[in-house]
Amino acid sequence: MRLLSFVVLFIYSAVCFSQKINYTSLVTDKNLIENADAIVRLDELVVDIIAQDNMVLTSKRVVTVLNKNGNKHINAFVGYSSSNKIKNIKALVYDSFGNEIKKLKEKDFKDVSAVSGGTLFSDYRVKYLDYTPTQYPYTIVLEKEIQTPNTVFVPEWNFLDDYRQSLEKSSFVINYANANLKPAVLEKNFGDYAIEKKETPLSISYLATNISAIKWEELSPDFNVITPKVMSRLVNFHYEGINGHVENWGQLGEWMHNNILKGRGNLSLAVKEKVRNLVKDAATDLEKAKIVYEYMQSVTRYISVQVGIGGVQPILASEVDRLKYGDCKGLSNYTKSLLEAVGVNSYYVHVEAGSDKINFEDDFPTLSQGNHAILAIPNNNNNNYTWIDCTSQIHPFGFIGDFTDDRKVLVIKPTGGEIVKTTAYLEKNNEQLIKSNIQLLNNGAIKVKAVIETQGIQYDNRFYLEDKDRDKVLEHYQDVWSSINNIELEDYSFNNNKEKVKFTENVKITAENYTRLLGSRILFTPNVLNKSLYIPKRYRSRKLPFSISRGYMDVDTYVINIPEGFVVEVLPEANKIISEFGEYKSSVVLEKDGSLKYTREFLLRTGNFPSNKYKEYRDFRRKIASNDNQKIVLVKK
Amino acid sequence: MTKVLKLMVMYFLFVQFSHAQDVKFGKVSKEELQEEFYAKDSTADAAVLFRDVRISFVYLESVGFVVQQKIHERIKIYNKGGFEHGTVVEALYQGNSGTNETLTGLKATTYNLVNGNVEKTKLKKSDTFKEESSKYYIREKFTMPNLKEGSVIEYQYVINSPFYSSFNEVTLQYDIPIVNQKIEVSIPEYFIFKNISKGYLFYELKKTVKSGNITFTNKTRSGGGQYTPISTSYSSSNLDFKINVSSISMQDVPALKEEVYVNSMENYRSAIKYELQYTDFPNSVIENYSGTWEKVVKNIYENVEFGSQLKLKQYYKTDLEQLLSGKITEKEKAEAIYTYVKSRMSWNGLLGYYTDNGVKKAYKEKSGNVADINLMLVSMLRNAGLKANPVLVSTRSNGVPLFPTRYGFNYVVAVVNLNGANVLLDATSNYSKPNMLPVRTINWAGRIVHENGSSSTIPLQPNYKSLESIMMSVSISENGKSEGKIRRFCKDYVAYKFRVNNSDIGEETYLEKLEEKFNGIEITDYSVKNKEVIGKPVMESISFNKENTSEVIGDKMYLSPLLWFAQKENPFKTEVREYPVDYGYPWVDKHVININIPEGYKVESMPSPLKAVVGDGIGQFIFQIINNNGILQVKSDLSINQSLISSQDYQGLKDFYKAVVEKQTEKVVLSKI
Repeated sequence: MRLLSFVVLFIYSAVCFSQKINYTSLVTDKNLIENADAIVRLDELVVDIIAQDNMVLTSKRVVTVLNKNGNKHINAFVGYSSSNKIKNIKALVYDSFGNEIKKLKEKDFKDVSAVSGGTLFSDYRVKYLDYTPTQYPYTIVLEKEIQTPNTVFVPEWNFLDDYRQSLEKSSFVINYANANLKPAVLEKNFGDYAIEKKETPLSISYLATNISAIKWEELSPDFNVITPKVMSRLVNFHYEGINGHVENWGQLGEWMHNNILKGRGNLSLAVKEKVRNLVKDAATDLEKAKIVYEYMQSVTRYISVQVGIGGVQPILASEVDRLKYGDCKGLSNYTKSLLEAVGVNSYYVHVEAGSDKINFEDDFPTLSQGNHAILAIPNNNNNNYTWIDCTSQIHPFGFIGDFTDDRKVLVIKPTGGEIVKTTAYLEKNNEQLIKSNIQLLNNGAIKVKAVIETQGIQYDNRFYLEDKDRDKVLEHYQDVWSSINNIELEDYSFNNNKEKVKFTENVKITAENYTRLLGSRILFTPNVLNKSLYIPKRYRSRKLPFSISRGYMDVDTYVINIPEGFVVEVLPEANKIISEFGEYKSSVVLEKDGSLKYTREFLLRTGNFPSNKYKEYRDFRRKIASNDNQKIVLVKK
Repeated sequence: MTKVLKLMVMYFLFVQFSHAQDVKFGKVSKEELQEEFYAKDSTADAAVLFRDVRISFVYLESVGFVVQQKIHERIKIYNKGGFEHGTVVEALYQGNSGTNETLTGLKATTYNLVNGNVEKTKLKKSDTFKEESSKYYIREKFTMPNLKEGSVIEYQYVINSPFYSSFNEVTLQYDIPIVNQKIEVSIPEYFIFKNISKGYLFYELKKTVKSGNITFTNKTRSGGGQYTPISTSYSSSNLDFKINVSSISMQDVPALKEEVYVNSMENYRSAIKYELQYTDFPNSVIENYSGTWEKVVKNIYENVEFGSQLKLKQYYKTDLEQLLSGKITEKEKAEAIYTYVKSRMSWNGLLGYYTDNGVKKAYKEKSGNVADINLMLVSMLRNAGLKANPVLVSTRSNGVPLFPTRYGFNYVVAVVNLNGANVLLDATSNYSKPNMLPVRTINWAGRIVHENGSSSTIPLQPNYKSLESIMMSVSISENGKSEGKIRRFCKDYVAYKFRVNNSDIGEETYLEKLEEKFNGIEITDYSVKNKEVIGKPVMESISFNKENTSEVIGDKMYLSPLLWFAQKENPFKTEVREYPVDYGYPWVDKHVININIPEGYKVESMPSPLKAVVGDGIGQFIFQIINNNGILQVKSDLSINQSLISSQDYQGLKDFYKAVVEKQTEKVVLSKI
């Protein structure tokens, strides 16, 4: 599925009081140096809400960069557009003794289009500093000031904004002109961090000091979920010429519907007739929806164009119909209109997409949450929805994969918005069944015939193979079966059952030198096709919690025919490993006909775990890896 | 912009020539729309059915000659994977006013077969986008409307450029197949270009001559005195000249397909390169651009951003004097200067053999591009009385400079002659050392620019092998656990890569990476020497323990003699190979491993020794194992003696690796006594 065309212009950044700070790179606090490539000496943002449609953001950021990996932490850029104007931007660079070595003015910043991959055109722009450090450490001071009428986006304040960066002082201040403009704030992940909050009439402020750098660790949750931040919003806001008054998600949905979505869905009579004709034999609403969705998939493609208000508003359905392309908003709105034409009701949905599951905040309605749009089709029971992502041309109807699954999203109804959770694919939903017939040959070669069935997220990882050519298919098997050298692909066929969301691979391979000949013995691993050798990295001291965001269930059954003239010398014992992370069992049995039957079941559970469980999880995976590598010894009769 | 353009078009006085156009815009056949796959390459997601590129020079009275590229392409989209070819992006250079490149005359249509009829959807003006991507470039973009699997798309447009070098490379090969293409380049006799072929495809270049003609309008003003009104009279004059036309016609051009171990696929994309050698206008002197190596070098040398930069010396004079005090030998002097420039200057990441800031400013600001830094280095070496010269280089991603051309180079390093031997120097990288250039520059040969402007070649590949050596002693216990010590020794480029990858990560993070790389060993003690001492080998000492080092099955133990250092996979998987395998530098990997087998076990069987070679001295593999009273002494040396291995030797290399993988993964069997 394609990413994010829902653009919110980032005007985060920070501002400043005039205050004496020491610009030498001399930081002696060990807690700030450990694991840090850069130390944020000062990060300040002052948000002045002057009127409902006038907000000024003044920021100052002082960063001491310790080495070249720290350069990215200077954040020396600023996004702007026709509404978000840069009033001031400048930078000063100091050497490690605190001597000024360079002064950079607005014209020294490079001015480029803020187009990211996958976007054809956007009128957002960014000015950034392309500074080549001449020594480390150095200290850079960046000051900026931006003015915008769009008070709907009061920036979110992150006290830490990346791994490997420590913080000496961070200050976030919101000043508002009158009580009507008082922002609501939501504090997230403050945990044990010492963050001071101060409220005076017409001002709210936060101050954090001395926070150590965080090192990235495998399987850790999203950075945003573990570090402190403050979200803010105005009840009375302004967005590109439109005012709003929003106290809850219901009202934000209503505002979206009335101001952003209404009137975007008109289609010509000919188009409506066309889809009505397509669904004429369909009995239920869901059948109709499926036909319409598949029709939309077959005639459109994802192209993102972001102009002006288009960061939030979909382009007209009639335009999408003419061009046959659109971004997530455009394609969702178009599909919604097509569904409407055949009498099927659906709702436009804002969601934060990505493989990390990020929820909308239950009681904190803002327009800046979410980066993607999908559709929800209500089923008979109104609390149950079928979700469709209109930016994919290949996903089955009602299957959203790991891009928007299992998270709280905003469903926008004409009567208001609601927070709802999307479909989750957990554990046994994500199943893989492998049945295989394996022949070992005298010369060490192996012949494999396998049927692989996948569902859920495992389906999502496989079904794209259907469209690949032979070279790519071979590459895929070389990749997943990397322990088998010299794979030759004899034959393969795929069956993509979109109704049941099940993908079946029928594959035949041969490979030389799979088994090891050792004098009169043959050594081989019976788990030919599904070795789970992944062991999470060892950390001397694990700091962060970890999560298994999507568990799965694998079941393997192989019949292994051993070469003529050999008998089994040693069979591994059956194994069972049970832990709170899942269950694993494997066994090899000698059948009456002389063949071996290998069976394996592995259930991995979805869950969030504290850091002190990490070692246990590693042990669990290590035992599995070791089991999956167990060998059988055959000996000449 | 468009207004200006229209005005410009009015002034165009077209150079006359005719060309039979065989494919008309808009005449898309049903057969083309019905086609389901490309017969010659069924894996193609899309194919260019027809491509017509015409490059010509047009005389514009206000500016002179400008280059026009007329592009017309018709593309068949077979499936969704081909949709990306429905988007076109052209980058256009924006100089000072009047020197902008422009795109004009855009016409584009999508064709679909609907109920047996051809349905046309035209691209609207409002569906095109102009993005100011930087100060110097705008990008014109459009994507075709109503695109479906099976669609045929067609577009044509003209790129107008005031730069003669704007078409320095005409691509002949795409990532999708081209069924039919015609390229025609028409150049007035006043411009002498050299054309050079690139890539592996064969084509025929047909040359013909046509006549051209320019009509000049001369404006004469007279009068304007006290009693006479101003009058302007017009007269016109003609200039006839020859146009050299070269044309290429190609059918069934295969798609360019990616391979592993290639420095840059762009090196292998077929194209015809054009380089302006000189211009010879009537009534003017000949102006040289390039042609022979001598001319190319002279041209570069005479540029103020090259030759003159070498002459400046005031800016470092006092620093140099200080630096040289007490230094006697040439070697000492050269080393002092090289180390000084390397540590003083930070490279800003920009390539080029022309200076960016100029050496003086760069020196003051302590940062600059490649030329700023290395020309400064040459100049300082010369002023210390050493024989030093700049060396023009083409980086690996820039391709191989086979023919004399300015565009062939994009980088400059320094060479200093010490006691009759040439030593290459590059001060842009902290981790390089004398005669060890950064990997990006190891690409065939460089061109030394001598002080008198003459030139000669110098090979850039190192003539030594970069060594990684592992010495290990390990004891294995009955349950398959192990404990031991490793001494790792990295020299030259192996050390260079170690430093590049690990210089800025903490030791803890590095050790975690290393534990992962060494198959999950747990490191109990670690020390490293010479981590930052460039020129000396990096020496690491590691104490470790590890579970599951061997497999215990029944009363036998199975052990891989190279443990986790065995190469388990053949890196070469494809059956055929078009392009050379590029390792960058010759290397050797040595392992000496002593394994103490557990008490109560004896060696039942072990792999036989092996010596394998590939090609005529391309590579060599030696494997030995001896049982010395319960201590297994394993030795495995793998070396590749050339940077570049041609595709003819590919099969040999693949088989060689197969033998290496098989031998290194063979097992030792121990059994209980």
